[in-house]
Amino acid sequence: MANELTLTFLKPGLQTTLQDNGRAGLQHLGVPVGGTLDSTSAKMANQLVGNEEDVPVLEITMTGPEILFDWDALIAISGALFELFCDDELIENNTAVYIKSGSVLKFGKLKSGCRAYLAIAGEWKAKKWKGSVSPLLQAADATPDSIIQKGTKLKIHSSFLNKTGSWDENKHTTILSQMVRLRVTPGPEFENISREAIAKFFGQGHKISQDANRMGYRLTTDLTSKQESTEMISSGIIPGTIQITGSGQPIILLKDAQTTGGYPRIANIINEDLDQLAQLKPGDEIWFSLE
Amino acid sequence: MINILPYGNNALLINFEQKIDAKIHNLVKGYFNSISEFEEVSYQIPAYCSVMVVFDPVTTNFKKLKSKIEKLNIKPDEIKSDSKIIEIPVCYELEFAPDLASLAKEINLSSEEIISLHTSKTYDVYMMGFLPGFPYLGELPEGLECKRKATPRKQVKAGSVGIAGKQTGIYPTDAPGGWQLIGQTPLKIFDAAKENAFLIKLGDKIKFKSISAQTFKTLQKNGK
Repeated sequence: MANELTLTFLKPGLQTTLQDNGRAGLQHLGVPVGGTLDSTSAKMANQLVGNEEDVPVLEITMTGPEILFDWDALIAISGALFELFCDDELIENNTAVYIKSGSVLKFGKLKSGCRAYLAIAGEWKAKKWKGSVSPLLQAADATPDSIIQKGTKLKIHSSFLNKTGSWDENKHTTILSQMVRLRVTPGPEFENISREAIAKFFGQGHKISQDANRMGYRLTTDLTSKQESTEMISSGIIPGTIQITGSGQPIILLKDAQTTGGYPRIANIINEDLDQLAQLKPGDEIWFSLE
Repeated sequence: MINILPYGNNALLINFEQKIDAKIHNLVKGYFNSISEFEEVSYQIPAYCSVMVVFDPVTTNFKKLKSKIEKLNIKPDEIKSDSKIIEIPVCYELEFAPDLASLAKEINLSSEEIISLHTSKTYDVYMMGFLPGFPYLGELPEGLECKRKATPRKQVKAGSVGIAGKQTGIYPTDAPGGWQLIGQTPLKIFDAAKENAFLIKLGDKIKFKSISAQTFKTLQKNGK
């Protein structure tokens, strides 16, 4: 069946955005890559409703929205675990769920993780900029449908078959935990960083500070007792890069981060572990190990 | 001469001699242009004396890509410069230049001398970064070098022209920033609404031209 579905956001949630795989290829112009932070969970949600992997999904952060559906839809929610309700009835994560016209989808308490992904079977009618719906912080007008506010309406050409997609049980899913080990490779400035700082980097857990968003996570640890030489000529940075800032605090860069920086790059989190990183919230703890 | 380092597990970093220098930057542009043709590369971030190369780990790996890059054999003198000179009109009058007077004291020049030095040179675009469309231009004439502001501003207006260290740059959008602001251009150097959203690209050359507040307002009106 197919029809035009409008989602109305009765509550927007803390930070709800429409995201796809972002826009690789404009980074030489200073444009962040953007896109879903936990891409495995986003793919899973799309697959469960029978969409292609790169169809936009809603990325929902810590406090979820309330959404009114004005037509029937097939949805799936993956990633962070929330208590989920459709018209006050509990529904499940990680499975395709039919939503009847006129229903309200509510996100309740966050049980684990940080970011959930809501996929809807069909085709989104959202404006793209340079091939992506992912919002660009510095040009919010370019993707006017992608930053969800109270009252935002999003249109979807809702279409689904009776047969839903499925997620292979053996496939990797993102682990949700408040303490994780992330694998890193040494960064280009590793050799210039003091032994003391490196010992502290690998020898203790690092808590994520309140200063954590889609651009980056600042960690609460202080790696340097004295000011280390932080002079370097600005150079490229990518999601997963860990820099040591002037104050000695490590900062992990995520997909909305700037593309260049001048702080020493101590290490890089390997690509496979970035999904897990995206599910951490302030107060959670990271241990780094060499890949 | 070039040092190719692994960077995470889906990127590599080409480091040249770590120096801000037009010849070294020619190499950056040479490698960036050649590597742009590689299908296994998803994107690159060229900077002053380095190029970050992000690749698809399914179709290649560090070793393969490194040896492919090493075979390019790019020489700085052979790189043709097809760069265009873009003239950027800037109003250096007080209302557009919040740091000009204090900077003049700091570096022992008059405001007029700063303007005349800043407009005297044609600058290279060494890097785009910090914000979408933010060009890092260099190098400043001797005597104009200065420190960043001790406390960055929470909001710098789009079009503001700043200097810091040996560099000058233009804010493409409103943003926080710590550069010394000596003027403002009425041009939109980043405009997402246009098909050609970026006025300035790596490899272009930039020349600043001093304009009056009156001309600023006229150009701004015409730009809208």
